[in-house]
Amino acid sequence: MKRALTAAAAALLLTTAVPQIARSAPAQGSAQLNYKVLPTVKAQVTPNYLSGYGPQGGLGSGVTPAAGPNASLQGGTVDFGNVVVGYTYLYKYAAQVAVQTNDSAGFVVYGEGATDLNGSNPVPAPSTWPIFSTLYWLPSSSANSPFSAATSFNKTNGSPIAGGANGIDYSGTGGVPSAMSVVWSNPTSGNVTQGYDYQLRLSGAVPPSQFNVYIVYTVIGN
Amino acid sequence: MRRPNLLALLALAVLATLTVVSQADALTGLKTYKLVTIDVVVTPSPIAYAPPKKSQYPSLAAPRVQIAASSTAAWDVAPGGGDAALPLMIAQISAQATPVPVQFVAKADPNAQYLHVIPHEPPGGFAGAYGTTVFPCAFEIYTYYTNSYRLQDWGYGTNKTAGAASGTFPIENYPTTSNLSWAVPDFGPTVTPYWNQGPAGETTWLGAVKQAQQHCIDLTLTVPNAQASGSFTAVVEYALYVTLP
Repeated sequence: MKRALTAAAAALLLTTAVPQIARSAPAQGSAQLNYKVLPTVKAQVTPNYLSGYGPQGGLGSGVTPAAGPNASLQGGTVDFGNVVVGYTYLYKYAAQVAVQTNDSAGFVVYGEGATDLNGSNPVPAPSTWPIFSTLYWLPSSSANSPFSAATSFNKTNGSPIAGGANGIDYSGTGGVPSAMSVVWSNPTSGNVTQGYDYQLRLSGAVPPSQFNVYIVYTVIGN
Repeated sequence: MRRPNLLALLALAVLATLTVVSQADALTGLKTYKLVTIDVVVTPSPIAYAPPKKSQYPSLAAPRVQIAASSTAAWDVAPGGGDAALPLMIAQISAQATPVPVQFVAKADPNAQYLHVIPHEPPGGFAGAYGTTVFPCAFEIYTYYTNSYRLQDWGYGTNKTAGAASGTFPIENYPTTSNLSWAVPDFGPTVTPYWNQGPAGETTWLGAVKQAQQHCIDLTLTVPNAQASGSFTAVVEYALYVTLP
């Protein structure tokens, strides 16, 4: 009997003591989860982004400009078609840049030529013509004209990939295009767009030829 | 003299006058014209470049992160792997969109043999300070024709009746005097404000039969103190009027 009582007392002690030990170990409190959201940025460019796109101007040349066959609404090429040396043209709704970023400090958009203007048909000598002081950009506006103030595109200091068709590699220039190539600076995050017209100023020395170039837009978070 | 005779004589006189005038008009004709764009940047320019800063984390998380316990450190793991002396390096986020192909087919100007412009505008345009600035040989113009000719110029888009309010710096509309003036140093030092009453403008120079000539145009820009700084464009139309055979 005494043994039986001792065993029962021991069992009771175990069943009451163990839970008390388990409860006192974690005590109470809260856990704080810290996390960081990495900034992201995405960009798309739409050529000929609005109905009514195409060239105008050439006043005095006797030729009314019209978009070339490679231009199509919201795609294709910014194709000035036939233009006359010595005159100035405005290409309406040439390109629209769309940026999505969660970077609260915003972003900067750079736009520049992957190369100079490449002459191909016939091949002039030299085969290229400087893009600088020939092809210009300006934010789209109904008030724009072939004579509106505009900013010249620059030839990149980076390395064009596939002649510019696949973009520009800036790894050799610190990962950033030239500061002279800034076309847009936005100080906030969000989903925003900006349209651009292009201006073509053909000095009298431009050789007759078909010219091509790729304009590359790069977005960098602030 | 009888009245019918008088009327007949009057009609004859009018007819003769019209004939002479129409012949005079037929003596000259517009062969071609060029529009010269002149970019002017009035300094100090409000355009300033702000280089991109290093990346920072966005504030997408609604509540601010709070660190447990009494520490006020902003990081649960110290920047630089625990060594506070080392800077935190974060790669700048970037994206490159599909490139935009641009194309044009440049055709020769058949009238370039008679009139063309050789620009000498510096990259970024002509920088003009407040006051008066001279830009020597801002551009050159070449002219030639088989008959005698004259070169005329005026501010593109100006109009004699539109009034001063229709003008834009630096070529203000009549009756306000233009802030942009020109001179042909080959012909003398005379500086003339650009004509701003529309066509047919003022004579830049004359040319004899088969005379080819190319001259510099000096520009003088006057920026009044009331003028805001910034970038401006002036457009000048140069028209070649030739004597018809």
